Amino acid sequence: MSDTARTLLPTATQARTRAAVRELIRPHRRLALGGFAMMIVATSVGLLVQPLLGRIVDLVADHRPPGSITLPVVLLVLVALAQGATTVLGLSLVSRLGETVLAHLRERFVEKALRLPLEQVEKAGAGDLTARVTRDVSVVGEAVRSALPELARSLLAIALTLVAMAALDWRFFLAALVAVPVQASTARWYVRNAVPLYAEQRIATGAQQQQLLDTVAGAGTVRAFRLEEEHTERVTRRSSAAVELTLRGVRLVLNFYNRLHVAEYAGLAAVLVTGFLLVRGGSVSIGTATAAALYFHSLFTPVNSALVLLDDAQSATAALARLVGVADQPSPELSSELSSEPAQRTGADIGIGAAGTVTVTGLHHAYEPGRPVLHDVDLTLRAGERVALVGVSGAGKTTLAKLIAGVHRPTSGSVHVTAGAGAPREGLPVALVTQETHVFAGPLADDLRLARAGAGDDELRTALATVDALDWAGALPDGLDTVVGDGGHRLTLAQVQQLALARLVLADPPVAVLDEATAEAGSTGARLLEQAADRAVEGRTALIVAHRLTQAATADRIVVMDGGRIVESGTHDELCAAAGPYASLWEAWSGTRATADRTPTHHPRPDTTTVKDH
Amino acid sequence: MSPTYPSGRDVLRESVREQRRDVALGSLLGSGHQVGEALVPVLIGVVIDRAVTGSDTGALVRWLGVLAVVYVALALSFRYGAWAGDRSAVRAEHSLRIALVRRVLHPGGGAEDGRLPGALANIATEDAKRVGGVNTAVMYGIASLVGILTCAFVLLRTSVLLGLVVLLGTPVLLWLGHLLSKPLETRSEAEQERAAHASAVAADLVAGLRILKGIGGESAAIDRYRTTSRDSLRATLKAARAQAFQSGMVLSLTGCLIAVVALVGGRLAAEGTISLGQLVSAVGLALFLLGPLEVLAWVNAELAQGRASAGRVAEVLATAHSVTAGERSLPRQVRGAVRLAGVSHGGLREVDLDIEPGELLGVVATDPAHATDLLRCLARRADPDAGTVELDGVSLRDLDPAEMRTVLLVAEHDADLFEGTVRDNVTAAAPEAGDPEPAMTAAGVDQVARTLPEGDGTAVSERGRSLSGGQRQRVALARALAADRAVLVVHDPTTAVDAVTEAGIAAGLREVRKGRTTVLVTTSPALLSVTDRVVLLDGGRVTDTAPHAELIARHETYRTAVLA
Repeated sequence: MSDTARTLLPTATQARTRAAVRELIRPHRRLALGGFAMMIVATSVGLLVQPLLGRIVDLVADHRPPGSITLPVVLLVLVALAQGATTVLGLSLVSRLGETVLAHLRERFVEKALRLPLEQVEKAGAGDLTARVTRDVSVVGEAVRSALPELARSLLAIALTLVAMAALDWRFFLAALVAVPVQASTARWYVRNAVPLYAEQRIATGAQQQQLLDTVAGAGTVRAFRLEEEHTERVTRRSSAAVELTLRGVRLVLNFYNRLHVAEYAGLAAVLVTGFLLVRGGSVSIGTATAAALYFHSLFTPVNSALVLLDDAQSATAALARLVGVADQPSPELSSELSSEPAQRTGADIGIGAAGTVTVTGLHHAYEPGRPVLHDVDLTLRAGERVALVGVSGAGKTTLAKLIAGVHRPTSGSVHVTAGAGAPREGLPVALVTQETHVFAGPLADDLRLARAGAGDDELRTALATVDALDWAGALPDGLDTVVGDGGHRLTLAQVQQLALARLVLADPPVAVLDEATAEAGSTGARLLEQAADRAVEGRTALIVAHRLTQAATADRIVVMDGGRIVESGTHDELCAAAGPYASLWEAWSGTRATADRTPTHHPRPDTTTVKDH
Repeated sequence: MSPTYPSGRDVLRESVREQRRDVALGSLLGSGHQVGEALVPVLIGVVIDRAVTGSDTGALVRWLGVLAVVYVALALSFRYGAWAGDRSAVRAEHSLRIALVRRVLHPGGGAEDGRLPGALANIATEDAKRVGGVNTAVMYGIASLVGILTCAFVLLRTSVLLGLVVLLGTPVLLWLGHLLSKPLETRSEAEQERAAHASAVAADLVAGLRILKGIGGESAAIDRYRTTSRDSLRATLKAARAQAFQSGMVLSLTGCLIAVVALVGGRLAAEGTISLGQLVSAVGLALFLLGPLEVLAWVNAELAQGRASAGRVAEVLATAHSVTAGERSLPRQVRGAVRLAGVSHGGLREVDLDIEPGELLGVVATDPAHATDLLRCLARRADPDAGTVELDGVSLRDLDPAEMRTVLLVAEHDADLFEGTVRDNVTAAAPEAGDPEPAMTAAGVDQVARTLPEGDGTAVSERGRSLSGGQRQRVALARALAADRAVLVVHDPTTAVDAVTEAGIAAGLREVRKGRTTVLVTTSPALLSVTDRVVLLDGGRVTDTAPHAELIARHETYRTAVLA
């Protein structure tokens, strides 16, 4: 499965991204208008500084008494205070707008991401969604937090400064434009080179990060096998590659500044020459020429930051397109809990009948065309029946389990689950517990409540008790409020799986599919887990993919798969007597038990001893 | 051995010291750039004074020429100065990263205890980067100070009074800005941390997506995320307001300084003490000062972050080793006799155990935690609280753990696979001349390879998560067998493998390890049935020792532990 061609999750087009941003901003139009108006005021007020300084120059040039400059100086102080105050207000409003919109976007993104069909997520590779939810969200967040306000301020400063220069004399404006061709071509050149380089850089950094995680997380294994040197070498290689690319980026940026310096000089010289000519011609005062030169000089900083931020803006736009791509996914019927669940868990269709009857008809499945893993599978699970699915690795057990749980859509054939007669049950019809060992970060109780929101502490305790987990859970430092998962209290693999079973109890579905839910725990733990699993599925229709045959032997019925087909079905006794594939599996399993003359726990079967002798 | 780093300060100092040439060159050229930038407003004043005021074309051409020369100089010194500075930063970052990896991988261990892999990787990337960034910060800091000094110098030459206003005004401004931002910074930091929480929660939910879907917990998860996101939004808005306030205050303060310079300079010019051009220069310089002042504020923040990061780096580098190297070394020919004498550790109580060279021993622990404790002692991830573990009569304590592991391998149940092909993984620790085929066949990797698209040349990714649990276990077991150590301890190698395959593996394992000491810590009857004898650890003590069949027949506890 890991090798099926990757189909990455959708990415929005530029037009769609823009439209989505507009949609997100629309409810906050007033905030947006207020914020930008305030920023314009702040920048405009700031632009009064140069003419006031020019005024002082003129007063001095006209040989006015020293006291006459008090007024412009007082005005300068007022301008400073006003600029500060309006900037505080403007920045607050703009960041409020940005942050609010960002919060809505990420909420919508996470909602859609969690509702994506698993099949689609798996086809895209686990990394795609994770990268979007971590890197892309943080890139966009960073842009909203720092790049966007800075870019807005810079662009406003540039535009308004040019307007102010034109207001002094239109010829100053023309002189300032001398720098523009150089700046524009530099910006284009930069973006053209920077985008692919930074993409390469991100890949190299990602590879380095992955290697670090591999090496650090596997440090125990590295030491045990004496691979320390090799792994240090691996990290060094990846890190050097990232360093090399970073330095290439630095060279690019420095080259960029070099060109900007040329533009600065050209523009400044042009403004000075213009001032010289206009003063000589008598059309402007020395103070005005000074103000123009100071204006142009003060343009350096915003121009530099705006051009540098172009790059941030570019990567933020790309990240945004990836977020919008997922956030735009059509919602699978949002009307009610009941209908939304089965609708996204595409495979199984739900009907009314005896609660929890599963009917599988003519099921075929291939992950890749031409490589079928299931052939013509027919299977009925009666309500409340506990069926074990056995077979050697690669027989198609997991695929069948996933199809029944609705994770994948079958290539052909159907899976039908009856959700119960009369009042349909709330919640999902089929729950799936696999050997996956993730614990949700946060208090243990919160982890469990994901399965049943609003469950009381008593319900949680009962569920934990059902799977034999209450003893250790109660003994945790803060009981059920103990923070577990990433960064919290570490649980053993067996405890993690008990939690998974407790969630199953809380979710309380009519049908439960357990796919080797007990495999990761090691053999001693496995037995305890099997008992917990038995209790967790009590009263439900259960399909249990088992690799430990003792677990299979106690089931109501055993279904044996081989090469993607069901080859045998019946009780343990029947199958042992039939001397078919199950009998030989059982022989291999129990044969290793040599002199053991015991049958699996609570099903005494006189005939098993004969099967075991060999 | 890596040098010991007692504190974050030492990490910072060492990091700058290593790059001192680049930092010095960067500071020198960066200062040149700042002097050039400071001269630009001065030259604007000169042009106004000499050319514009008197309409002197010759002067205009001359001074624009001087301006051009200044520009070339400042552009070049920036280019090469910044290059040296940035290079020093990335190089320092790189060397810290490698030092951290070396510490984590040190045979003595200990660095990763109590730290999540993600957190450690973060220290090796983000924190290393911040510490490296201090090199650049130092360079820009020095250059900015030189820029400010140049400014002051020019102003002092123009007028002592004006110079003093700038010289005294600048630090006062900086100090006020610092005073204002200090409480805001601490507050906004805490708030930013809460803001970061939202993205951590989202990543966590996505990581557990399959589980969520399995139990239909999407809606509950979405509601939870929304609450977190709103909390985080509130915190972020507070932080943003604080930041906006800070920006506004800095703008106002700077504006006031410019007003004061204009007041003093204007009066001096009106009195005729300084020329018109000098007034223009003074005003231009006061505006120019904004740049280096802002850079200094940035440098301050960088240094603070760098110090915090250096502290975290130092903490990892200075972690005590879990075990230390002894003085003795192993005999050239290791026989592979392992002896535990009175070992108490975790749940183990005075365990005595003699493992003969070449023996295939099974160990059954009724409590999985005791099995783990035993493995920790054998792998020397920890030394026992009491008693000794000996290899060929030498206590493990007296050996270098790295040397010991070339002879004794403990293959853990949850061993990680690494990036590379299946075959690369199997041969990772195999002797150069060795043939990995028998190990691969014994562990059933040949079967695994047949189902993979490119056989044993198929790439393994995500630490083996691209393989199924059973496939991963078999590859890991083959790697342990191919390593061909004198003593091999294997923990539960077949829990995710089906019964038929497991029986094959048991036989293969016995065959491959023939004549060399092998310990199987497991409760799998398939594996135990091929051992020479089995030790039963019950309640942390050795309660019985006999061949598997015998124990099955006579020991009730054993039967329960192994069968059932």
